[in-house]
Amino acid sequence: MSMSRTKKILLAILIVLIVIQFIQPTRNTSGQVLQTDIVNMYNVPQSIQAVFENACYDCHSNNTRYPWYANVQPMGWLLARHVKEGKDELNFSEFGSYSSRRQANKLRAIENSVKDGTMPLSSYLLLHKDARLTETYKAEIISWVRRTRDSLTQNK
Amino acid sequence: MTASIAFTACNSGNNKSAENNSADNNQTPTTTLSSNPTGEATPIKGIVNGYLNLKNALANDNSQAAANAANEFLEAMNKIDKSSLTEGQKKVYADVADDAKEMAEHISKSADKIDHQREHFDMLSNDIYDMVKAFGTGQTLYRDFCPMYNDNKGATWLSEVKLIRNPYLGKEMPTCGEVKEEIKQ
Repeated sequence: MSMSRTKKILLAILIVLIVIQFIQPTRNTSGQVLQTDIVNMYNVPQSIQAVFENACYDCHSNNTRYPWYANVQPMGWLLARHVKEGKDELNFSEFGSYSSRRQANKLRAIENSVKDGTMPLSSYLLLHKDARLTETYKAEIISWVRRTRDSLTQNK
Repeated sequence: MTASIAFTACNSGNNKSAENNSADNNQTPTTTLSSNPTGEATPIKGIVNGYLNLKNALANDNSQAAANAANEFLEAMNKIDKSSLTEGQKKVYADVADDAKEMAEHISKSADKIDHQREHFDMLSNDIYDMVKAFGTGQTLYRDFCPMYNDNKGATWLSEVKLIRNPYLGKEMPTCGEVKEEIKQ
């Protein structure tokens, strides 16, 4: 008895799907707070720190909180790529390793992306409804970022 | 005080913009700057040229040309011969390079988002200014200031011509701004 062409293709897809489950990307969970962490560099109020952790840290720190589907490939790979790109752009865990020039520019970028609503990404908000920034939080972040930036440029 | 002066400067520039237009066209470099012009060579010649092409592209509201110029700028950044630099220059370069490259990468990747390009151009302009001060340019440059950009926080840029052509506001307000400093070669 020979299988139909469609059945063969479906079987092949199934095998591929099973095989790729064994290829798990490395997790971004250091569990440590580095010396260069932004909380060790600046006075970050508790309320703002909480917002950062909740809305930004999954992609912009060394500690991602993984959802269940991160165990399912290729979703896990997609997440890993997002996290890598996010960390390349801005990593709160290693903020202190940037030159003061870059720190000031990063702070400005934070202000603008929060103000324009380009961050958190809409695709992220779709799956993390609690990460949506309220106007109050937005204002709080923007004012903190500005104060911090001013102190940075004055110390220069 | 500063704001009111700046505002007047912009207003007068704007009123005159119509009659200035023909003069603008004569003095404005519309062609791409040569990557190897005659004149004193400095290690950052190519970098400055890339920057100036980027500036002109933004002044023309040409986002794609800006992205191309940012790539040209990046190439020049990567080509710089660090062994030829003095200790002081190395220090400035180390401080500026990562930031400047990052800005240029953003600009090159944002060919359809000119506002985003301009935001990074603002930060890049500060980097280039510091480099020009440390390295020299081989040509006279002008540091211009636009008081209106970024919610009236203002922004600077470098230009190879004395005439104001605003890369932040583009054709909307081409003559807004003033020369703050002349940097002799």
